[in-house]
Amino acid sequence: MIEYPEIDRYADLDSILHKFDPRAKIVSFLTLIFSIVLIPDLKVALMAFTFSVFILALSKLPLSFVFKYLKWVTMFVLSIFTILALTFPGEKTSFYFISLSKDGIYSGALISIRAIAATMLVFPMIGTMRFDETIKALYMLRIPNSLVQMLMFTYRYIFVFADEFHRMLTAMESKGFKLKTNLYSFAVIGRAIGMLFVKSYERAERVYQAMLSRGYTGNPKTIADFKMDAKDFFLATLIIFFAIFLHLMK
Amino acid sequence: MVHISDGILSFQVLAFGWIVTLLLIALTLWWSKRKGSIAEKIPKLSVVTAAFFVASLIHIPVGPTSVHLILNGLVGIMLGTLSYPAIFIGLILQAFLFGHGGVTVIGINAMDMGIPALIAYSIFRIRQSPLFGAIAGGVAVTLAVLLTAAVLLTLGESYVWVVRALIIYHIPIIVIESLIAASVVAFLSKVKPELLGGGK
Repeated sequence: MIEYPEIDRYADLDSILHKFDPRAKIVSFLTLIFSIVLIPDLKVALMAFTFSVFILALSKLPLSFVFKYLKWVTMFVLSIFTILALTFPGEKTSFYFISLSKDGIYSGALISIRAIAATMLVFPMIGTMRFDETIKALYMLRIPNSLVQMLMFTYRYIFVFADEFHRMLTAMESKGFKLKTNLYSFAVIGRAIGMLFVKSYERAERVYQAMLSRGYTGNPKTIADFKMDAKDFFLATLIIFFAIFLHLMK
Repeated sequence: MVHISDGILSFQVLAFGWIVTLLLIALTLWWSKRKGSIAEKIPKLSVVTAAFFVASLIHIPVGPTSVHLILNGLVGIMLGTLSYPAIFIGLILQAFLFGHGGVTVIGINAMDMGIPALIAYSIFRIRQSPLFGAIAGGVAVTLAVLLTAAVLLTLGESYVWVVRALIIYHIPIIVIESLIAASVVAFLSKVKPELLGGGK
């Protein structure tokens, strides 16, 4: 019922992107993502899409894994595409009995391709390293300490609470509870959520005391073992160059 | 889902979202630093953020389909001013762990969900009762939907139908969210009242 975040499930594969320095990977991929979402032209967007597919292939991540997570963005942009194609003002073209707007199809397609191409890059970026390496890279990139720590703690506790809530639901279902669309169900699920907060809060207290007793000061000390070499600089420059190139095309 | 995905908004809107969000994060963190060390709050804040993240993954059946809870009103009720950074962190994790929402739109999505959370907090502070919990929860989702609608309308009049579909889709969610907010508030005020009203 509740899915685990499994983004780094394939972090131990071996590919060029798995060997890419995390800091260089984050900076260059984010540049590329920001560049892709701002492409004004459909042809350039298709080129960026091809490049994203190429990067994805380089990462050797299983396609079924990526498709599972691309479902959301695809559904979102396809519904926008459909609405725009049907309702966009301007020149119409007819498709069997339905009249579609040419401009609507164009801008819907542009949006969809940009969205999927950009989201697809999240997986070669984050899915090719363990999440703790991502966190360490963010820390070394001088993202404010308090935000990096919140990301790290929140990520860890998602697994704990997914399990916790799952146990609570199993207990409820074993007593005959079924989640339906009625007031009673909402009241029960509300109390279950409330219980999750009480448990999480009490756990937070204990964890914080335990951390204090181990010398926690709020400033984590990370042992940095990332090394940038010529190959990392080359790959990062290549990706950033492509990101700029997308906006120089006419 | 009131998240906008990548690839839709213009540069100006994306930049505006990031600027507002970064300013509000700096402001809310500074505000809570005034009342004591932030280092002490981070583990607690993160644990509650994770609980919200998990709660928003629950599928609630609505007729033949199912919806996810947004819970931004409850985040506001429980975390107070710190709800803004909590929502920001939640959105980053959703974008990077599940590909939900988008990377470039984190700023604008945080604004659309975080500002209503802050408003829900100020509504709940008037009176800490299940009724005001329900109002705060419902208002937070309604405002989030309206802000998202306003953001989509910056793209031009051709998005009117997208906005209508968005609003219609969210009407049942608004009702469910306020019922669940009332139930959570009623439960917490009996079991652990110190969790309500922005915490200590």
